[in-house]
Amino acid sequence: MSQVKGKVLKHAGQTRLMHWIHLICFVILGITGLGFYFKIITIDYIFGGIGNASVVHRWLGVVFTVGPLLYILTNFGRFSRFIDTISTFTKDDFKWLKTMGGYIPGLKGEVPPQDKYNAGQKLLGWLVIICCFLFFVTGFPMWLWRHAMPPQLLGLCYDIHFWDAVIAILAVAGHFFLAAIHPKSRVEFASMMTNGYVEAAVSAHHNEKWFATLQNDSELKA
Amino acid sequence: MNTFQEKTNLTRRQFLRGSGVLAATAILGGILAKFGFNVQARSQEYIAQRANGLYSLDERMTLRKSHENPEILQIYKEFLSPGGVTPLSEKAHHLLHTKYGDEIPELIAELKQHSHQAA
Repeated sequence: MSQVKGKVLKHAGQTRLMHWIHLICFVILGITGLGFYFKIITIDYIFGGIGNASVVHRWLGVVFTVGPLLYILTNFGRFSRFIDTISTFTKDDFKWLKTMGGYIPGLKGEVPPQDKYNAGQKLLGWLVIICCFLFFVTGFPMWLWRHAMPPQLLGLCYDIHFWDAVIAILAVAGHFFLAAIHPKSRVEFASMMTNGYVEAAVSAHHNEKWFATLQNDSELKA
Repeated sequence: MNTFQEKTNLTRRQFLRGSGVLAATAILGGILAKFGFNVQARSQEYIAQRANGLYSLDERMTLRKSHENPEILQIYKEFLSPGGVTPLSEKAHHLLHTKYGDEIPELIAELKQHSHQAA
């Protein structure tokens, strides 16, 4: 581990706010959605019945869509840097995937230096973008055009929406495990959930390539 | 405390990639939305044409109200409510009202019982 002292601002305030909004929406949308699909009436009762649960699901779907859209439009620079990072795959990323960053027991080998996001996080980033897009393009027609759509197309929307949710929930569960529970990676938990900062030594070790591009406050003041 | 942060400048590559993903999403979403609006417009048009067709067929009918149909009135007078026309008579209720949802197994059992009795 690097001996560098100090802290790194990894995630800015608006990014953390967007992440919190998306997280809360995702959890409630997931719970209500599973309640509808598997007809778990207890879940509907938590929201005051199936009618209210449906209203909550639909309108949180709007927040789930508009939240990131507003973030992208007001933080286009951050969004572009994020897209640039997750769409850049080098030999180091493929090497990281072979060892899974050392997070999975049994997969041994040297973990290569990584960007701001490691190869697993880059894949998760794309998965989240694709899943969210599929949620939008199937969810809104199921709400607004359900009486106009051919039944086969409506059924297809339901199937895609459900399996999309299954994939997203499994991916987010893995993300939660690595971000909040796994002892090697949970050291960065606060950087997204509270103040945005991570120890410089941790960042220099986990995100070596990115850390090399950072500027410290003395450089900024100069 | 020594703090580090990202450079805030945007390179041309970053700008192009960010714009590209945003544009691709907007175009794909727009195409699907256009398809959806077209489907809805066609559906509304079909519903309007179908409603017009049903109304015009109805206007050509000699008898347009079931409660004024002499055959229905006769069935009530002679069978469903002898001596008068009582739409909610007990016999009319049992014979003309259907069952649905959770009541269907009960209806099937009742029909089976009737068929056994008839046999």
